[in-house]
Amino acid sequence: MSENTVEVSDYLRDQLILLHTSFKSSKELFTAVNAKAEADGFVTDQFLPKIIKREATFPTGLQLEKRGVAIPHTDADTIKKEFVAVIVNDDPVDFSRMDDPEQQVGAKLVFVLGLNQPHAQLDMLQALMAIIQDDALIAQIESADSKGTVHQLLSK
Amino acid sequence: MKKLNVLVACGAGIATSTVVMKKVEDLFAENNIDANLIQIKIAEAAGKQDDADMLISTTVLPTEFKIPAIKAMAFLTGIGVDKLKEEIVSKAREIQAQ
Repeated sequence: MSENTVEVSDYLRDQLILLHTSFKSSKELFTAVNAKAEADGFVTDQFLPKIIKREATFPTGLQLEKRGVAIPHTDADTIKKEFVAVIVNDDPVDFSRMDDPEQQVGAKLVFVLGLNQPHAQLDMLQALMAIIQDDALIAQIESADSKGTVHQLLSK
Repeated sequence: MKKLNVLVACGAGIATSTVVMKKVEDLFAENNIDANLIQIKIAEAAGKQDDADMLISTTVLPTEFKIPAIKAMAFLTGIGVDKLKEEIVSKAREIQAQ
């Protein structure tokens, strides 16, 4: 990659990397992310209701060849400071599929995208999609045991 | 050759459509297809379809559209991306030929 490339790791915030969690549903996961994000001024009080509603209407689960991941996000006006939250749950959490809400995909790895500049984060999003398509890398992130490792893996 | 107006939609008009915009832009450039790409939220698609030739979306389609609509999830997952590219290019050429 070129020197100027924006990396996903630029958007990571330590308090928004949650490892070894045991959420049972996407709503539990969103509630936990929101608690941390709101406490540190990343989101408005509309973030939680809006992300829950949006996930219900336009789900974000992606079925990859060997696993599922999810990339929940919501309206820009709920985001005060941009972030990419990384959640690695011990067991897969059910998300509906982006292309077919009737179907579920189990995601151990969830990237919650807190973006507030439409059309502006192309480099980061392309890097993220490249990561999602790299099965070996996803497997490494899923078994990361420290925030430092997550940073390192998402800097590639 | 007709210049195509192509709507690129996702749920929020902020994340996945940004990625797909770039992919479609590159795809059309490689194939010498002249097109205006317009990034929208899927909820806006019904109201904008009268001025557009084609819709490319990463979400489930909430309604039937008068214009051809193609789901472009493969740009995100990488699965079936060659087939998707073919589908978009052939549909675009078909519209141009009309």
